[in-house]
Amino acid sequence: MTAQPAKSTRSDRRHWGRGAYSGREALLALAFLVPAVILVGLLMYYPMILAFVESLYETSFLNPEPEFIGLQNYRDMLQDGGFWQVVRNSLFWTIGVVLFQNVIGMAVAILFNQDLPFRGLSRTLVLLPWVLPGIVAAILWRFMYDPQLGLINSILISLGLVDKSIPWLAQPSTAMLAVIIAAVWKGFPFSTVIYLAALQIVDEEQLEAAQIDGANAVQRFRYVSIPAMVHIIFLNLLLTTIFTFNYFDMIWVTTKGGPINRTHIFPTTIFQIGFGEFRFGEAAAYGVVAVLLLAGLAVLYILQLRTGDDRI
Amino acid sequence: MKPRSRQRLRRVVLIALQMLVLIIVLIPFFWMFSVSLKPANEPFAIPARLWPDNPTIENYKTAFQPEFRRYFLNSAIISLATIVISISVGLLAAYSFSRFQIRGFGFLLVAIILAQMFPVATIIIPIFKMVREAGLLNTYFGLIIAYITITLPVSIWMLLGFIGNIPPDLEESAMIDGASRFQAFWKVVVPLARPGIVATAVWIVVVTWQEFMFALAFTQTREMRTVSVGMNDYIGQYGIRYGELMASSVMFSIPIVVVFFILQRQFVAGLTAGATKG
Repeated sequence: MTAQPAKSTRSDRRHWGRGAYSGREALLALAFLVPAVILVGLLMYYPMILAFVESLYETSFLNPEPEFIGLQNYRDMLQDGGFWQVVRNSLFWTIGVVLFQNVIGMAVAILFNQDLPFRGLSRTLVLLPWVLPGIVAAILWRFMYDPQLGLINSILISLGLVDKSIPWLAQPSTAMLAVIIAAVWKGFPFSTVIYLAALQIVDEEQLEAAQIDGANAVQRFRYVSIPAMVHIIFLNLLLTTIFTFNYFDMIWVTTKGGPINRTHIFPTTIFQIGFGEFRFGEAAAYGVVAVLLLAGLAVLYILQLRTGDDRI
Repeated sequence: MKPRSRQRLRRVVLIALQMLVLIIVLIPFFWMFSVSLKPANEPFAIPARLWPDNPTIENYKTAFQPEFRRYFLNSAIISLATIVISISVGLLAAYSFSRFQIRGFGFLLVAIILAQMFPVATIIIPIFKMVREAGLLNTYFGLIIAYITITLPVSIWMLLGFIGNIPPDLEESAMIDGASRFQAFWKVVVPLARPGIVATAVWIVVVTWQEFMFALAFTQTREMRTVSVGMNDYIGQYGIRYGELMASSVMFSIPIVVVFFILQRQFVAGLTAGATKG
Protein backbone atom coordinates (compact mmCIF):
# COMPACT_ATOMS: atom_id res chain seq x y z
CA MET A 1 0.00 0.00 0.00
CA THR A 2 2.34 2.65 1.11
CA ALA A 3 6.01 3.13 0.88
CA GLN A 4 7.72 5.11 3.46
CA PRO A 5 10.20 7.74 2.35
CA ALA A 6 13.85 7.12 2.71
CA LYS A 7 15.68 8.85 5.43
CA SER A 8 17.26 12.11 4.49
CA THR A 9 19.67 13.37 7.02
CA ARG A 10 19.41 16.76 8.57
CA SER A 11 22.77 17.75 7.24
CA ASP A 12 21.84 17.56 3.57
CA ARG A 13 18.84 19.79 4.17
CA ARG A 14 20.87 22.33 6.14
CA HIS A 15 22.77 22.68 2.93
CA TRP A 16 19.89 24.88 1.83
CA GLY A 17 20.45 28.03 3.82
CA ARG A 18 20.08 26.61 7.33
CA GLY A 19 16.36 27.09 7.60
CA ALA A 20 16.51 30.76 6.74
CA TYR A 21 14.76 31.46 3.47
CA SER A 22 14.20 34.60 1.54
CA GLY A 23 10.61 35.81 1.51
CA ARG A 24 10.14 34.62 -2.06
CA GLU A 25 11.47 31.17 -1.29
CA ALA A 26 9.19 30.75 1.70
CA LEU A 27 6.25 31.96 -0.34
CA LEU A 28 7.01 29.42 -3.04
CA ALA A 29 7.34 26.65 -0.45
CA LEU A 30 3.89 27.54 0.81
CA ALA A 31 2.42 27.85 -2.68
CA PHE A 32 3.66 24.34 -3.47
CA LEU A 33 1.82 23.02 -0.44
CA VAL A 34 -1.45 24.87 -0.85
CA PRO A 35 -3.17 22.48 -3.32
CA ALA A 36 -2.33 19.41 -1.22
CA VAL A 37 -3.36 21.01 2.05
CA ILE A 38 -6.63 22.27 0.62
CA LEU A 39 -7.49 18.90 -0.93
CA VAL A 40 -6.60 16.84 2.14
CA GLY A 41 -8.37 19.31 4.42
CA LEU A 42 -11.47 19.61 2.29
CA LEU A 43 -11.75 15.97 1.27
CA MET A 44 -10.58 14.19 4.43
CA TYR A 45 -10.60 16.32 7.56
CA TYR A 46 -13.75 18.26 6.78
CA PRO A 47 -15.76 15.09 5.96
CA MET A 48 -14.36 13.51 9.11
CA ILE A 49 -15.82 16.39 11.15
CA LEU A 50 -19.05 16.16 9.17
CA ALA A 51 -19.28 12.46 10.06
CA PHE A 52 -19.13 13.36 13.76
CA VAL A 53 -21.83 15.99 13.27
CA GLU A 54 -23.96 13.68 11.17
CA SER A 55 -23.86 11.02 13.89
CA LEU A 56 -25.76 13.42 16.17
CA TYR A 57 -28.67 13.66 13.77
CA GLU A 58 -31.38 11.31 12.70
CA THR A 59 -32.23 10.93 9.04
CA SER A 60 -34.27 8.20 7.49
CA PHE A 61 -35.79 7.45 4.14
CA LEU A 62 -39.19 8.69 5.33
CA ASN A 63 -37.77 11.69 7.13
CA PRO A 64 -34.94 13.04 4.96
CA GLU A 65 -34.77 16.31 6.91
CA PRO A 66 -32.05 15.74 9.56
CA GLU A 67 -33.26 16.05 13.13
CA PHE A 68 -30.84 16.71 16.00
CA ILE A 69 -30.99 13.90 18.55
CA GLY A 70 -27.67 14.26 20.41
CA LEU A 71 -26.07 10.99 21.40
CA GLN A 72 -29.21 8.95 20.83
CA ASN A 73 -27.68 7.10 17.86
CA TYR A 74 -24.84 5.93 20.09
CA ARG A 75 -27.19 4.90 22.89
CA ASP A 76 -29.31 2.90 20.48
CA MET A 77 -26.24 1.34 18.96
CA LEU A 78 -24.73 0.20 22.25
CA GLN A 79 -28.02 -1.41 23.27
CA ASP A 80 -28.42 -3.13 19.93
CA GLY A 81 -27.09 -6.68 19.75
CA GLY A 82 -26.29 -6.13 16.09
CA PHE A 83 -23.60 -3.62 17.01
CA TRP A 84 -21.76 -6.05 19.25
CA GLN A 85 -22.01 -8.69 16.56
CA VAL A 86 -20.29 -6.27 14.18
CA VAL A 87 -17.56 -5.55 16.75
CA ARG A 88 -16.99 -9.28 17.30
CA ASN A 89 -16.99 -10.01 13.56
CA SER A 90 -14.58 -7.16 12.87
CA LEU A 91 -12.16 -8.38 15.53
CA PHE A 92 -12.34 -11.95 14.31
CA TRP A 93 -11.97 -10.95 10.67
CA THR A 94 -9.14 -8.47 11.25
CA ILE A 95 -7.09 -10.66 13.57
CA GLY A 96 -7.64 -13.75 11.43
CA VAL A 97 -6.68 -12.13 8.15
CA VAL A 98 -3.73 -10.16 9.54
CA LEU A 99 -2.29 -13.13 11.41
CA PHE A 100 -2.47 -15.62 8.54
CA GLN A 101 -1.52 -13.04 5.94
CA ASN A 102 1.64 -12.11 7.80
CA VAL A 103 2.66 -15.60 8.91
CA ILE A 104 2.12 -17.05 5.43
CA GLY A 105 3.62 -13.92 3.86
CA MET A 106 6.77 -14.33 5.94
CA ALA A 107 6.99 -18.08 5.33
CA VAL A 108 6.71 -17.63 1.57
CA ALA A 109 9.22 -14.77 1.67
CA ILE A 110 11.74 -17.04 3.44
CA LEU A 111 11.02 -19.82 0.95
CA PHE A 112 11.38 -17.56 -2.11
CA ASN A 113 14.56 -16.10 -0.64
CA GLN A 114 16.25 -19.51 -1.07
CA ASP A 115 18.16 -20.47 -4.15
CA LEU A 116 15.34 -22.08 -6.16
CA PRO A 117 14.68 -22.64 -9.85
CA PHE A 118 12.63 -19.84 -11.49
CA ARG A 119 12.95 -17.72 -8.40
CA GLY A 120 12.40 -14.39 -10.15
CA LEU A 121 9.36 -15.68 -12.02
CA SER A 122 7.93 -17.21 -8.85
CA ARG A 123 8.29 -13.93 -7.02
CA THR A 124 6.39 -12.15 -9.77
CA LEU A 125 3.64 -14.77 -10.07
CA VAL A 126 3.01 -14.79 -6.35
CA LEU A 127 2.05 -11.12 -6.55
CA LEU A 128 -0.80 -11.83 -8.97
CA PRO A 129 -3.60 -12.15 -6.38
CA TRP A 130 -2.67 -8.76 -4.98
CA VAL A 131 -2.83 -7.14 -8.42
CA LEU A 132 -6.09 -8.88 -9.34
CA PRO A 133 -8.98 -6.39 -9.02
CA GLY A 134 -10.71 -6.85 -5.66
CA ILE A 135 -14.11 -7.35 -7.23
CA VAL A 136 -12.77 -10.08 -9.51
CA ALA A 137 -11.12 -11.82 -6.56
CA ALA A 138 -14.40 -11.67 -4.67
CA ILE A 139 -16.49 -13.00 -7.56
CA LEU A 140 -13.90 -15.68 -8.22
CA TRP A 141 -13.96 -16.89 -4.62
CA ARG A 142 -17.74 -16.78 -4.52
CA PHE A 143 -17.59 -19.12 -7.48
CA MET A 144 -14.89 -21.28 -5.87
CA TYR A 145 -17.11 -21.82 -2.82
CA ASP A 146 -20.30 -22.46 -4.79
CA PRO A 147 -21.93 -25.65 -3.48
CA GLN A 148 -22.95 -26.90 -6.94
CA LEU A 149 -20.29 -25.54 -9.27
CA GLY A 150 -17.45 -24.65 -6.96
CA LEU A 151 -13.98 -26.04 -7.37
CA ILE A 152 -13.38 -26.32 -3.63
CA ASN A 153 -16.25 -28.72 -3.05
CA SER A 154 -15.30 -30.67 -6.17
CA ILE A 155 -11.74 -31.09 -4.92
CA LEU A 156 -12.77 -32.03 -1.40
CA ILE A 157 -15.27 -34.58 -2.69
CA SER A 158 -12.90 -36.15 -5.18
CA LEU A 159 -10.25 -36.42 -2.44
CA GLY A 160 -12.88 -38.12 -0.29
CA LEU A 161 -12.51 -35.54 2.48
CA VAL A 162 -16.21 -34.69 2.54
CA ASP A 163 -19.12 -36.72 1.18
CA LYS A 164 -21.45 -33.91 0.17
CA SER A 165 -21.09 -30.31 -0.92
CA ILE A 166 -20.71 -27.71 1.80
CA PRO A 167 -22.35 -24.30 1.29
CA TRP A 168 -19.31 -22.53 2.69
CA LEU A 169 -20.57 -18.97 2.35
CA ALA A 170 -24.20 -19.68 3.21
CA GLN A 171 -23.93 -21.46 6.55
CA PRO A 172 -23.19 -19.40 9.67
CA SER A 173 -20.56 -21.78 11.02
CA THR A 174 -18.24 -21.58 8.01
CA ALA A 175 -18.94 -18.19 6.37
CA MET A 176 -16.40 -16.16 8.34
CA LEU A 177 -13.69 -18.77 7.91
CA ALA A 178 -14.40 -18.86 4.17
CA VAL A 179 -14.11 -15.10 3.68
CA ILE A 180 -10.96 -15.00 5.80
CA ILE A 181 -9.31 -17.65 3.62
CA ALA A 182 -10.25 -15.74 0.47
CA ALA A 183 -8.90 -12.48 1.91
CA VAL A 184 -5.65 -14.14 2.97
CA TRP A 185 -5.17 -15.53 -0.53
CA LYS A 186 -5.66 -12.02 -1.91
CA GLY A 187 -3.52 -10.25 0.69
CA PHE A 188 -0.55 -12.41 1.66
CA PRO A 189 1.48 -11.52 -1.48
CA PHE A 190 1.73 -7.93 -0.28
CA SER A 191 3.33 -9.10 2.96
CA THR A 192 5.58 -11.46 1.03
CA VAL A 193 6.97 -8.61 -1.09
CA ILE A 194 7.62 -6.44 1.94
CA TYR A 195 9.25 -9.29 3.87
CA LEU A 196 11.34 -10.33 0.87
CA ALA A 197 12.72 -6.80 0.80
CA ALA A 198 13.23 -6.92 4.56
CA LEU A 199 15.20 -10.17 4.35
CA GLN A 200 17.69 -8.44 2.06
CA ILE A 201 18.80 -6.13 4.86
CA VAL A 202 19.61 -8.96 7.27
CA ASP A 203 23.37 -9.05 7.65
CA GLU A 204 24.82 -12.15 5.93
CA GLU A 205 27.96 -12.10 8.08
CA GLN A 206 25.95 -12.14 11.29
CA LEU A 207 23.97 -15.11 10.00
CA GLU A 208 27.20 -16.96 9.15
CA ALA A 209 28.72 -16.11 12.50
CA ALA A 210 25.65 -17.46 14.27
CA GLN A 211 25.83 -20.62 12.18
CA ILE A 212 29.49 -21.16 13.10
CA ASP A 213 28.52 -20.71 16.75
CA GLY A 214 26.11 -23.60 16.29
CA ALA A 215 22.78 -21.81 15.95
CA ASN A 216 20.24 -23.78 13.92
CA ALA A 217 18.01 -22.23 11.26
CA VAL A 218 15.19 -21.44 13.70
CA GLN A 219 17.59 -19.84 16.18
CA ARG A 220 19.27 -17.82 13.44
CA PHE A 221 15.86 -16.56 12.32
CA ARG A 222 14.77 -15.80 15.88
CA TYR A 223 17.94 -14.09 17.10
CA VAL A 224 19.46 -12.54 13.97
CA SER A 225 16.81 -12.04 11.27
CA ILE A 226 13.84 -10.96 13.39
CA PRO A 227 15.69 -8.25 15.34
CA ALA A 228 16.98 -6.79 12.06
CA MET A 229 13.48 -6.73 10.56
CA VAL A 230 11.45 -5.79 13.62
CA HIS A 231 10.74 -2.26 12.45
CA ILE A 232 9.38 -3.47 9.11
CA ILE A 233 7.39 -6.31 10.66
CA PHE A 234 5.73 -3.87 13.02
CA LEU A 235 4.95 -1.40 10.25
CA ASN A 236 3.56 -4.13 8.04
CA LEU A 237 1.37 -5.47 10.85
CA LEU A 238 -0.04 -1.98 11.39
CA LEU A 239 -0.68 -1.37 7.72
CA THR A 240 -2.32 -4.73 7.09
CA THR A 241 -4.45 -4.32 10.22
CA ILE A 242 -5.80 -0.97 9.09
CA PHE A 243 -6.26 -2.16 5.54
CA THR A 244 -8.06 -5.35 6.60
CA PHE A 245 -10.34 -3.54 9.05
CA ASN A 246 -11.43 -1.28 6.18
CA TYR A 247 -11.65 -3.99 3.50
CA PHE A 248 -15.08 -3.86 1.89
CA ASP A 249 -15.18 -5.59 -1.50
CA MET A 250 -14.57 -9.19 -0.51
CA ILE A 251 -17.34 -9.47 2.08
CA TRP A 252 -19.83 -7.29 0.21
CA VAL A 253 -19.59 -9.38 -2.94
CA THR A 254 -19.37 -12.84 -1.36
CA THR A 255 -21.83 -12.69 1.55
CA LYS A 256 -23.16 -9.11 1.89
CA GLY A 257 -22.61 -9.55 5.62
CA GLY A 258 -24.69 -12.72 5.87
CA PRO A 259 -25.67 -15.34 6.70
CA ILE A 260 -27.62 -13.83 9.61
CA ASN A 261 -25.08 -11.00 9.93
CA ARG A 262 -22.28 -13.43 10.66
CA THR A 263 -19.81 -11.63 8.39
CA HIS A 264 -20.94 -8.00 8.73
CA ILE A 265 -17.92 -5.84 9.57
CA PHE A 266 -17.77 -2.06 9.98
CA PRO A 267 -17.44 -1.01 6.32
CA THR A 268 -20.20 -3.35 5.09
CA THR A 269 -22.49 -2.32 7.96
CA ILE A 270 -21.92 1.40 7.34
CA PHE A 271 -22.58 0.96 3.65
CA GLN A 272 -25.69 -1.12 4.28
CA ILE A 273 -27.20 1.29 6.83
CA GLY A 274 -26.18 4.41 4.90
CA PHE A 275 -26.83 3.58 1.29
CA GLY A 276 -29.15 0.60 1.67
CA GLU A 277 -31.45 2.06 4.31
CA PHE A 278 -30.61 5.79 4.08
CA ARG A 279 -30.18 6.05 7.84
CA PHE A 280 -27.19 8.36 7.49
CA GLY A 281 -26.99 9.34 11.17
CA GLU A 282 -26.76 5.79 12.40
CA ALA A 283 -24.26 4.87 9.69
CA ALA A 284 -22.16 7.88 10.69
CA ALA A 285 -22.24 6.74 14.33
CA TYR A 286 -20.82 3.37 13.23
CA GLY A 287 -18.22 5.29 11.25
CA VAL A 288 -17.18 7.33 14.29
CA VAL A 289 -16.75 4.14 16.33
CA ALA A 290 -14.62 2.72 13.50
CA VAL A 291 -12.41 5.80 13.64
CA LEU A 292 -12.05 5.53 17.41
CA LEU A 293 -11.15 1.85 17.14
CA LEU A 294 -8.45 2.67 14.59
CA ALA A 295 -7.21 5.85 16.26
CA GLY A 296 -4.84 4.02 18.59
CA LEU A 297 -3.28 2.17 15.68
CA ALA A 298 -2.92 5.37 13.66
CA VAL A 299 -1.04 7.01 16.52
CA LEU A 300 1.23 3.98 16.80
CA TYR A 301 1.88 4.23 13.08
CA ILE A 302 2.91 7.87 13.32
CA LEU A 303 5.13 7.20 16.32
CA GLN A 304 6.75 4.28 14.54
CA LEU A 305 7.48 6.43 11.49
CA ARG A 306 8.92 9.14 13.72
CA THR A 307 11.46 6.76 15.21
CA GLY A 308 12.39 5.55 11.76
CA ASP A 309 12.75 8.98 10.26
CA ASP A 310 13.99 12.16 11.81
CA ARG A 311 12.13 14.31 9.33
CA ILE A 312 8.79 14.44 11.13
CA MET B 1 22.41 -39.26 6.38
CA LYS B 2 25.39 -37.90 4.54
CA PRO B 3 25.55 -34.10 4.36
CA ARG B 4 25.29 -34.14 0.58
CA SER B 5 22.16 -36.23 0.37
CA ARG B 6 20.73 -34.15 3.18
CA GLN B 7 21.40 -31.09 1.08
CA ARG B 8 19.65 -32.72 -1.85
CA LEU B 9 16.65 -33.74 0.25
CA ARG B 10 16.39 -30.20 1.57
CA ARG B 11 16.35 -28.85 -1.95
CA VAL B 12 13.67 -31.29 -3.06
CA VAL B 13 11.49 -30.30 -0.12
CA LEU B 14 11.99 -26.60 -0.86
CA ILE B 15 11.09 -27.03 -4.52
CA ALA B 16 8.01 -29.04 -3.55
CA LEU B 17 6.94 -26.22 -1.23
CA GLN B 18 7.58 -23.68 -3.99
CA MET B 19 5.34 -25.68 -6.32
CA LEU B 20 2.65 -25.91 -3.65
CA VAL B 21 2.65 -22.14 -3.11
CA LEU B 22 2.46 -21.47 -6.83
CA ILE B 23 -0.37 -23.99 -7.29
CA ILE B 24 -2.42 -22.41 -4.50
CA VAL B 25 -1.80 -18.95 -5.92
CA LEU B 26 -2.48 -19.86 -9.53
CA ILE B 27 -5.35 -22.39 -9.39
CA PRO B 28 -8.10 -19.77 -9.03
CA PHE B 29 -6.64 -17.92 -12.04
CA PHE B 30 -6.49 -21.10 -14.04
CA TRP B 31 -10.07 -21.86 -13.17
CA MET B 32 -11.22 -18.36 -14.04
CA PHE B 33 -9.64 -18.73 -17.45
CA SER B 34 -10.93 -22.27 -17.93
CA VAL B 35 -14.54 -21.37 -17.10
CA SER B 36 -14.35 -18.32 -19.37
CA LEU B 37 -13.67 -20.71 -22.27
CA LYS B 38 -16.45 -23.13 -21.46
CA PRO B 39 -19.55 -23.28 -23.64
CA ALA B 40 -22.76 -22.14 -21.91
CA ASN B 41 -23.84 -25.56 -20.63
CA GLU B 42 -20.49 -26.85 -19.46
CA PRO B 43 -19.77 -24.97 -16.20
CA PHE B 44 -22.67 -26.90 -14.75
CA ALA B 45 -21.00 -30.28 -15.07
CA ILE B 46 -20.49 -31.97 -11.69
CA PRO B 47 -17.83 -32.55 -10.55
CA ALA B 48 -16.32 -29.44 -12.08
CA ARG B 49 -14.05 -30.25 -14.99
CA LEU B 50 -10.71 -28.44 -14.91
CA TRP B 51 -10.51 -27.79 -18.62
CA PRO B 52 -13.38 -27.43 -21.11
CA ASP B 53 -13.91 -30.23 -23.62
CA ASN B 54 -14.80 -27.74 -26.32
CA PRO B 55 -13.11 -24.42 -25.53
CA THR B 56 -14.85 -21.44 -27.13
CA ILE B 57 -14.45 -17.67 -27.09
CA GLU B 58 -18.22 -17.25 -27.25
CA ASN B 59 -18.33 -15.89 -23.67
CA TYR B 60 -15.87 -13.16 -24.54
CA LYS B 61 -17.93 -12.08 -27.52
CA THR B 62 -21.10 -11.96 -25.42
CA ALA B 63 -19.43 -10.17 -22.53
CA PHE B 64 -17.67 -7.58 -24.66
CA GLN B 65 -20.86 -5.72 -25.45
CA PRO B 66 -21.11 -1.90 -25.84
CA GLU B 67 -22.13 -1.61 -22.21
CA PHE B 68 -18.96 -3.30 -21.01
CA ARG B 69 -16.82 -1.18 -23.33
CA ARG B 70 -18.41 1.88 -21.80
CA TYR B 71 -17.52 0.68 -18.28
CA PHE B 72 -13.95 0.24 -19.44
CA LEU B 73 -13.79 3.73 -20.84
CA ASN B 74 -15.23 5.19 -17.64
CA SER B 75 -12.70 3.34 -15.47
CA ALA B 76 -9.85 4.43 -17.72
CA ILE B 77 -10.86 8.11 -17.73
CA ILE B 78 -11.31 8.21 -13.97
CA SER B 79 -8.05 6.40 -13.24
CA LEU B 80 -6.08 8.63 -15.59
CA ALA B 81 -7.49 11.87 -14.18
CA THR B 82 -6.84 10.68 -10.63
CA ILE B 83 -3.23 9.88 -11.54
CA VAL B 84 -2.64 13.29 -13.13
CA ILE B 85 -4.11 15.23 -10.21
CA SER B 86 -2.60 13.13 -7.41
CA ILE B 87 0.85 13.10 -8.96
CA SER B 88 1.04 16.79 -9.80
CA VAL B 89 -0.32 17.96 -6.46
CA GLY B 90 1.70 15.27 -4.69
CA LEU B 91 4.98 16.21 -6.40
CA LEU B 92 4.70 19.87 -5.45
CA ALA B 93 3.86 19.03 -1.85
CA ALA B 94 6.55 16.36 -1.56
CA TYR B 95 9.15 18.77 -2.92
CA SER B 96 8.13 21.46 -0.49
CA PHE B 97 8.19 19.07 2.48
CA SER B 98 11.53 17.65 1.45
CA ARG B 99 13.40 20.91 0.79
CA PHE B 100 12.05 23.49 3.20
CA GLN B 101 12.16 23.41 6.93
CA ILE B 102 9.53 25.88 7.90
CA ARG B 103 7.76 25.90 11.23
CA GLY B 104 4.53 23.96 11.00
CA PHE B 105 5.58 21.79 8.04
CA GLY B 106 6.26 18.83 10.30
CA PHE B 107 2.78 19.10 11.72
CA LEU B 108 1.21 19.34 8.25
CA LEU B 109 3.11 16.30 7.06
CA VAL B 110 1.91 14.24 10.03
CA ALA B 111 -1.64 15.44 9.37
CA ILE B 112 -1.40 14.26 5.76
CA ILE B 113 0.08 10.89 6.67
CA LEU B 114 -2.57 10.44 9.31
CA ALA B 115 -5.25 11.03 6.68
CA GLN B 116 -4.35 7.80 4.90
CA MET B 117 -5.36 5.89 8.02
CA PHE B 118 -8.94 7.18 7.94
CA PRO B 119 -11.53 4.50 7.29
CA VAL B 120 -13.01 5.20 3.87
CA ALA B 121 -16.38 3.91 5.07
CA THR B 122 -16.52 6.74 7.60
CA ILE B 123 -15.97 9.59 5.18
CA ILE B 124 -17.97 8.10 2.32
CA ILE B 125 -21.30 9.47 3.61
CA PRO B 126 -20.14 13.09 4.14
CA ILE B 127 -18.32 13.06 0.80
CA PHE B 128 -21.41 11.64 -0.84
CA LYS B 129 -23.44 14.54 0.54
CA MET B 130 -20.82 17.12 -0.49
CA VAL B 131 -20.66 15.72 -4.00
CA ARG B 132 -24.46 15.57 -4.18
CA GLU B 133 -24.80 19.19 -3.07
CA ALA B 134 -22.23 20.27 -5.65
CA GLY B 135 -24.38 18.53 -8.26
CA LEU B 136 -21.51 16.18 -9.14
CA LEU B 137 -23.16 12.90 -8.28
CA ASN B 138 -23.07 10.52 -11.22
CA THR B 139 -20.29 12.45 -12.98
CA TYR B 140 -16.66 11.56 -13.60
CA PHE B 141 -15.65 14.50 -11.49
CA GLY B 142 -17.54 13.22 -8.44
CA LEU B 143 -15.67 9.91 -8.49
CA ILE B 144 -12.33 11.57 -9.22
CA ILE B 145 -12.79 13.73 -6.11
CA ALA B 146 -13.59 10.63 -4.09
CA TYR B 147 -10.53 8.78 -5.39
CA ILE B 148 -8.21 11.66 -4.57
CA THR B 149 -9.07 11.12 -0.92
CA ILE B 150 -7.60 7.63 -1.21
CA THR B 151 -4.62 8.38 -3.43
CA LEU B 152 -3.30 11.83 -2.53
CA PRO B 153 -1.92 11.18 0.97
CA VAL B 154 -0.17 7.99 -0.21
CA SER B 155 1.17 9.74 -3.33
CA ILE B 156 2.73 12.50 -1.24
CA TRP B 157 4.24 9.91 1.06
CA MET B 158 5.68 7.74 -1.74
CA LEU B 159 7.01 10.70 -3.73
CA LEU B 160 8.58 12.18 -0.62
CA GLY B 161 10.70 9.05 -0.35
CA PHE B 162 12.01 9.46 -3.88
CA ILE B 163 12.56 13.20 -3.81
CA GLY B 164 14.32 12.93 -0.44
CA ASN B 165 16.92 10.76 -2.17
CA ILE B 166 17.72 13.33 -4.85
CA PRO B 167 20.68 15.45 -3.69
CA PRO B 168 19.68 19.12 -3.33
CA ASP B 169 23.07 20.13 -4.83
CA LEU B 170 21.70 19.38 -8.27
CA GLU B 171 19.01 22.06 -8.06
CA GLU B 172 21.46 24.40 -6.41
CA SER B 173 23.82 24.21 -9.37
CA ALA B 174 20.92 24.78 -11.75
CA MET B 175 19.94 27.83 -9.75
CA ILE B 176 23.47 29.15 -9.74
CA ASP B 177 23.29 28.84 -13.52
CA GLY B 178 20.32 31.18 -13.42
CA ALA B 179 17.32 28.89 -13.15
CA SER B 180 14.49 29.93 -10.86
CA ARG B 181 13.47 27.63 -8.04
CA PHE B 182 10.47 26.45 -10.03
CA GLN B 183 12.58 25.81 -13.14
CA ALA B 184 15.05 23.87 -11.02
CA PHE B 185 12.19 21.79 -9.65
CA TRP B 186 10.64 21.21 -13.05
CA LYS B 187 13.77 20.60 -15.11
CA VAL B 188 16.00 18.86 -12.55
CA VAL B 189 13.95 17.25 -9.80
CA VAL B 190 10.94 16.01 -11.73
CA PRO B 191 12.96 14.08 -14.35
CA LEU B 192 15.11 12.52 -11.63
CA ALA B 193 12.02 11.52 -9.67
CA ARG B 194 10.65 9.62 -12.66
CA PRO B 195 11.03 6.11 -11.19
CA GLY B 196 9.13 7.32 -8.15
CA ILE B 197 6.45 8.90 -10.31
CA VAL B 198 6.03 5.66 -12.24
CA ALA B 199 5.84 3.56 -9.06
CA THR B 200 3.26 5.93 -7.57
CA ALA B 201 1.23 6.00 -10.78
CA VAL B 202 1.15 2.20 -10.87
CA TRP B 203 -0.05 2.10 -7.29
CA ILE B 204 -2.79 4.63 -8.09
CA VAL B 205 -3.96 2.73 -11.15
CA VAL B 206 -4.04 -0.56 -9.22
CA VAL B 207 -6.24 1.11 -6.59
CA THR B 208 -8.56 3.22 -8.74
CA TRP B 209 -9.03 0.72 -11.56
CA GLN B 210 -10.67 -1.69 -9.15
CA GLU B 211 -12.22 0.65 -6.58
CA PHE B 212 -15.66 -0.57 -5.67
CA MET B 213 -17.30 1.11 -2.68
CA PHE B 214 -17.24 4.73 -3.90
CA ALA B 215 -18.14 3.67 -7.42
CA LEU B 216 -21.10 1.69 -6.12
CA ALA B 217 -22.43 4.66 -4.14
CA PHE B 218 -21.59 7.49 -6.55
CA THR B 219 -22.72 6.14 -9.92
CA GLN B 220 -26.40 5.76 -10.54
CA THR B 221 -26.83 5.21 -14.24
CA ARG B 222 -25.51 2.46 -16.47
CA GLU B 223 -23.51 4.94 -18.54
CA MET B 224 -21.50 6.10 -15.55
CA ARG B 225 -20.69 2.68 -14.11
CA THR B 226 -17.06 1.66 -13.73
CA VAL B 227 -16.02 -1.88 -14.58
CA SER B 228 -16.04 -3.06 -10.97
CA VAL B 229 -19.64 -1.96 -10.39
CA GLY B 230 -20.66 -3.23 -13.82
CA MET B 231 -19.20 -6.62 -12.93
CA ASN B 232 -21.07 -6.67 -9.65
CA ASP B 233 -24.26 -5.93 -11.58
CA TYR B 234 -23.65 -8.97 -13.73
CA ILE B 235 -24.03 -11.23 -10.72
CA GLY B 236 -27.68 -10.48 -10.17
CA GLN B 237 -28.61 -9.51 -13.68
CA TYR B 238 -28.05 -12.81 -15.42
CA GLY B 239 -28.70 -15.17 -12.52
CA ILE B 240 -24.94 -15.72 -12.45
CA ARG B 241 -23.85 -16.69 -15.93
CA TYR B 242 -20.43 -17.74 -14.78
CA GLY B 243 -18.96 -18.23 -18.24
CA GLU B 244 -19.59 -14.60 -19.20
CA LEU B 245 -18.75 -13.36 -15.74
CA MET B 246 -15.36 -15.07 -15.86
CA ALA B 247 -14.75 -13.81 -19.40
CA SER B 248 -15.38 -10.24 -18.23
CA SER B 249 -13.20 -10.89 -15.19
CA VAL B 250 -10.34 -11.92 -17.45
CA MET B 251 -10.83 -8.86 -19.66
CA PHE B 252 -11.05 -6.57 -16.63
CA SER B 253 -7.90 -8.03 -15.06
CA ILE B 254 -5.69 -8.12 -18.14
CA PRO B 255 -4.97 -4.36 -18.46
CA ILE B 256 -3.93 -4.05 -14.85
CA VAL B 257 -1.87 -7.24 -14.90
CA VAL B 258 -0.12 -6.11 -18.10
CA VAL B 259 0.67 -2.66 -16.67
CA PHE B 260 1.91 -4.35 -13.57
CA PHE B 261 4.16 -6.82 -15.38
CA ILE B 262 5.74 -4.15 -17.53
CA LEU B 263 6.47 -1.89 -14.58
CA GLN B 264 6.74 -4.40 -11.76
CA ARG B 265 10.43 -3.87 -11.09
CA GLN B 266 10.02 -0.16 -10.56
CA PHE B 267 6.82 -0.70 -8.68
CA VAL B 268 8.18 -3.25 -6.24
CA ALA B 269 11.26 -1.10 -5.75
CA GLY B 270 9.00 1.87 -4.97
CA LEU B 271 6.85 -0.15 -2.62
CA THR B 272 9.76 -1.46 -0.65
CA ALA B 273 12.22 1.43 -0.91
CA GLY B 274 11.11 3.02 2.32
CA ALA B 275 10.33 -0.20 4.13
CA THR B 276 13.94 -1.35 4.00
CA LYS B 277 15.57 1.99 4.59
CA GLY B 278 13.18 3.06 7.35
